[in-house]
Amino acid sequence: MSKKESELAVMGRKASRVILAICILLAVAEFIIHRHSYSDAEAFPLFYSLFGFLAFISVVIGGILLREFIMRDKDYYDAD
Amino acid sequence: MLTNIPPGLVMILGAALVPLLTHTPRQIFMLGLILLSGLQAWQLDPGVHLTTTIMGLDLTLIRADALTKPFALAFHIMAALGVIFGMNANCRVTESSGLAYAGAAIAALFAGDFITLFIFWELTAFTSVFLILKGNRPGSLGAAMRYLVTQVSSGVVLLAGAALLYSQGQGLTVGPLDATTLPGFLILLAFGVKAAFPFLNGWMQDAYPEASISGTVMLSAFTSKLAVFVLAQCFLGLEWLVYIGAVMIAFPVFFAVIENDLRRVLAFSSNNQIGFMVIGIGIGTELALNGVVAHAFAHIIFKSLLFMTMGAVLLRTGTTKANELGGLWRSMPLTTLFCLVGAVSISCFPLFSGYVTKTLTVASAIKEGYFWVWMVMIFASAGVLEHSGIKIPYFAFFAHDRGFKVKEAPRNMLVAMGIASLLSVIIGVYPNALYGILPYAVTFDVWEAGHLLGELQLLSFAILAFVFLMVRGLYPPEIDSTVLNTDWFFRKLAPKIIMGIVRPLWAVYSVTVNGLKLILLDLMDFAGGQINKSSIGAGAMSTSVAAGIFLTIFALLLALRFLLV
Repeated sequence: MSKKESELAVMGRKASRVILAICILLAVAEFIIHRHSYSDAEAFPLFYSLFGFLAFISVVIGGILLREFIMRDKDYYDAD
Repeated sequence: MLTNIPPGLVMILGAALVPLLTHTPRQIFMLGLILLSGLQAWQLDPGVHLTTTIMGLDLTLIRADALTKPFALAFHIMAALGVIFGMNANCRVTESSGLAYAGAAIAALFAGDFITLFIFWELTAFTSVFLILKGNRPGSLGAAMRYLVTQVSSGVVLLAGAALLYSQGQGLTVGPLDATTLPGFLILLAFGVKAAFPFLNGWMQDAYPEASISGTVMLSAFTSKLAVFVLAQCFLGLEWLVYIGAVMIAFPVFFAVIENDLRRVLAFSSNNQIGFMVIGIGIGTELALNGVVAHAFAHIIFKSLLFMTMGAVLLRTGTTKANELGGLWRSMPLTTLFCLVGAVSISCFPLFSGYVTKTLTVASAIKEGYFWVWMVMIFASAGVLEHSGIKIPYFAFFAHDRGFKVKEAPRNMLVAMGIASLLSVIIGVYPNALYGILPYAVTFDVWEAGHLLGELQLLSFAILAFVFLMVRGLYPPEIDSTVLNTDWFFRKLAPKIIMGIVRPLWAVYSVTVNGLKLILLDLMDFAGGQINKSSIGAGAMSTSVAAGIFLTIFALLLALRFLLV
C-alpha cells in the first residue's frame, strides 16, 4: 500500500469512528428529545435510525441485483 | 418600458451577437443581458402584462403569477453561473446557444398561452442541442440527435394538445387542465417528456453526460425545471402525479448505484429529485406547492454545483468514470469542498438548502395521508444520500488514490462553484430569504427539534450502513459498463421490431417482383414465338395477353409500393 493509500485508509478509519459515535449519540438523543409523529410507523422507537440503515443497505443490494439484468458491455450501443 | 419585452428575449436576441465579440467583452455582454433580463423579470408583478393578436389568435406574451418570480430568479442566477463557469472554455457556440437556451426557458416561464409556450418550448430544444453537440465526445452526435427528436416531439405533442383545446373552444390560456380529456392528456404527456417521467426519462441520462462541460451544467438547470413549472400551473392537485413522482424518486436510486459515469449518476439523481417535485404538484396543497417551488429553486443551484464539480474533474483528468477516479482531494481541494457542499445540500443535511426545501414536500405527503408515498420518499432520501451524497464525492475525490497530478479547477470555475455553494448554505441557514418569495406563507417549522433529530438519524445511520458495507467489502465495485435505461426501448427494441416487420415484407416484395419478372419474360417469349408463326390472330392475342399481364403486374407493384411506403 502506497503512502497516499495508507493515508486515505487512516482517514477512513477515523471518519468511521466519528460516524459511529455520532450515531450512538443520535440514538440516545431519541430518548431525550420528543419526536412528533404523524404516523404509527414514525412513532416506533429508533424508526429513522433503523429505516436509514436498512434503506441504504436495500438500495445497494437492489442495485447489485439490478446489475445482473441491466448491465452490459461498455460498448453495447456502439456495436450497432 | 422594460415590462413590454418578455424577459429572456433580450438574451435570445443578444445570443446572435455573442459570436461576433472577443472573449472578455463577450462575457461582460452576456452577463449584462442576463442582468437586464433579470431586472425585467423582477419588476413584473402577478398579472397579464403584454398581449397581441396574430392570425386571429390572442397571445399572452408576458404573464406572471406567484410561481413565476422564484423560477425566474433561479433561472437568471443559473444563467449567470453558467456563463462564469464556461468562461475558460472560450467556446462561442456553447456560449451563444447556452445564452439563447436560458433566455428561451425564461421567456417560456412568462408565456400566458400555449402557442407562445410552444414557441419557447421548442426554442429550448433547438438551442440546447448545440450544448450536447459541443461535447465533442464519440457519443455526442448520436445523443444530440436523440435528444432533439425527443424534445421536438414533446413540442409537437404540446401543439397537438393546444390545437385540440382551441378547436374545442377552450382557449389557449396556460392554466388548469383536465388530464382525462384528450387535449389535457396530450399536454400532460408533452410536459412529462421534459420532466422525464418514467419511461420518458432516457433522454436525460443519455444526453447530459455527452454534453460539453459547461453545457451539462446548463442542461441540468432549465429544461426539466421548466416542465415542473408548467406542470404546477396546469396540473396542480392531479393525483396521478403523486404516484408518477413516487416511481420517479424510487427507480433511479438503484440505477445510480451501479452507474459508473458520475455525470450520468447525477442525471439519475436529477430524475429522482424532479420526482419529489412531481409528487408535490400532485398533492397540490399550499405546503406542497411551496415545497415544489422551494425545492426546484434549491435543486437548480445544488445540482448545477455538483455538475460543475464533475465538469472541473472532467476538465482536469479527462474522465468522470468512477473506476478511473479517486484521491483528487489533494490536488483539487476547493473543488472537493464545493462538491461536499453540493452533496450535503442534495442529501438534506440541516443547514444546507435541500433540508429546508425538500422537507416541505415530504411533510405535505404525510400530512395529506399518503403514508406509502411518504415511506417511498424517505427510502429514496437514503438513496439520494447513497448516490449524490456519498458516491459522487467519495469516488471522485477519495476512495483509491489514482495518482492524478492535476491542477485545481480554473479560477472562473471556482468562482461559479463558490457562489453556488454559498447560495446553498445561505438558503440552508436562512431559509426565510427563499421562503419570502414562495407562493404562500411558510408556516411549517423545519427547525422543530424532533424533526431535526429524525432527519439526522436517517442520514447518519445511512452513512453508517455505507461504512458497514465498505468495511465488509460488500459495496459493489465500480465497473466500466453500459447500464441499460429506458432509452433501450428506442435504441434497441424499437429498431428490432421495425426491422422485424420490414424485413419479411421486403423479402415478400423482392420475391414477388423477381418472380413476376420471370413470368413476364416467359410470357413475352411465348408471345414472341406465336408471332413468329405468322398467325395474326395468335399475335394479336398474345400481345393482348402480355399487355394485360404487364398492366396487372404494374398495378400489383403500385399497390405494394403504397403498402410499404
